[in-house]
Amino acid sequence: MFERGAYIASSCTMVGPKEDAGAFGGLFDIVLSDDRCGEKSYEKAESRMHRTAIEGALARAGLADDGVDLMLAGDLLNEISASNLAMRHFKTPFLGLYNACSTFTEAVLLAAMLIDRGQIQRACCSTSSHFASAERQYRYPLELGNQRTPTSQWTVTGAGALVLSDESVQEDERAYEGFLERVSSLPPSDFAAKIAAKKGKMPVKVYRQGHEAPFDAVVTGGTLGRVVDYGMLDESNMGAAMAPAAADTLIGHFEDTGRTPGDYDAICTGDLGRFGSEALFAVLSSEGVDIEAKHLDLGAEYYLPEQKTFQGGSGAGCVNTAFCAFVLPKLRSGEWRRVLVLATGALLSKDTPLQKESIPGISHAFVAESAEKRESTLEKAQKYYTIGQNRE
Amino acid sequence: MISKDAYKRYVEKNAPRSPMWRSMTAAFLVGGLICCLGQGVHDGIAAIFPAMSEEDIASWTTVTLIFLGAFLTAVGVYDKLGHFAGGGSIVPITGFANSVVSPAVEYNREGVFFGVCAKMFVIAGPIIVFGVVASVIAGLIGLITEAV
Repeated sequence: MFERGAYIASSCTMVGPKEDAGAFGGLFDIVLSDDRCGEKSYEKAESRMHRTAIEGALARAGLADDGVDLMLAGDLLNEISASNLAMRHFKTPFLGLYNACSTFTEAVLLAAMLIDRGQIQRACCSTSSHFASAERQYRYPLELGNQRTPTSQWTVTGAGALVLSDESVQEDERAYEGFLERVSSLPPSDFAAKIAAKKGKMPVKVYRQGHEAPFDAVVTGGTLGRVVDYGMLDESNMGAAMAPAAADTLIGHFEDTGRTPGDYDAICTGDLGRFGSEALFAVLSSEGVDIEAKHLDLGAEYYLPEQKTFQGGSGAGCVNTAFCAFVLPKLRSGEWRRVLVLATGALLSKDTPLQKESIPGISHAFVAESAEKRESTLEKAQKYYTIGQNRE
Repeated sequence: MISKDAYKRYVEKNAPRSPMWRSMTAAFLVGGLICCLGQGVHDGIAAIFPAMSEEDIASWTTVTLIFLGAFLTAVGVYDKLGHFAGGGSIVPITGFANSVVSPAVEYNREGVFFGVCAKMFVIAGPIIVFGVVASVIAGLIGLITEAV
């Protein structure tokens, strides 16, 4: 648990068309109608999305491109290349992270710890994943006519960024509006997209999410996860491989803090999927912990059943975009006062299953709470300044 | 925490399985249709070129089916067929064409040499290796039996 915690200053999410058609449709900030994002390859597209999400979050927090002290980012590609390439555009110290799909909570926890300790003032945490680039990284070519097993998950095409700060920050509407205009003018990526653009279907759709928020969202603590391996071998059933890791972190969290599931409005796992969630309940019930009433799996909720994703969404961008688009507004409106977010990652590469290695899982959890808005020193100063002006 | 063995048993028992009958029916229907299509092409060629030998007709039929498989992969139809039919569209020779063309399309962006040419056989490679090895062995056996 932290003494002061870290304020969530702003967020920005950018997703593909399938994600917007899913359960969280309409809650995102930027939606691509063409998941190639005006680039020549899906990897470049992912990197572009990553960069755009960071720019959006920075603009919304009223910060310049080098306005944070540290960037923490990760993704699923080889050598986290989407993040690395995106970071060329920012003159900020950068820590590259990889914990598969739990990279987002890892980044938030690290940033919050540094901010809580006063080591840095502001940090930007971002992750991304892209269905097409992940399929190529871990599975088969897109056009190969094979079947997906019922335990498989669908990698979310999405990037999200979160700016954490040591003080409450007012969102900068004007800077963000300028950013949205720049994003809307993204050039179409190929011939088909050009024709669509002529018909008035732009490559990028922008949702202007209202953020009249009475509350601040604050990261107040968390639990770092251990690598847990229950000897699962099936790489198309990652939910089962990750569930014991989630259970381990949850039990550790409740033991450390003395809290119970009842202390939370929601316990959001990242992307265990439908079966993975059941497996988590099964493991927890052997420990006498019951979270079923409070539990929400963001991956399983991500897509609608008719989208045929079987277990639901996964990927480094899954928990990130779902948290920013769905959970964060609930915290800011005060509907939820305290949530536990634990993303889970399956730590496998394409080669380890071939070498007969089992799939280890990891899960990091952070606690986010909504807090009464306090005036930051800057706002106070501004207020006094305007009062002073009126007097004259 | 639950023991590893107990967890393994739980997962094996409870994990959702592929719908066996639906998959098999779809595979049977689509696989059968592809074979009927092949027979149709065969009969068509035989009708147009009556002088052609049976062996040549078979080769041309194979070539036509491979072309169709490759073409449908390139225009993005074959993967949708595969999602529905599974083994029904993987086992016929059109599936082989699909397994060569799909990585070639995918790795187009890495250039001609290390992209398309190198990655083209990532899926079909083992099949080709085994095919070549098997034909060498069969040839050797044939050679030896002829000499004896």
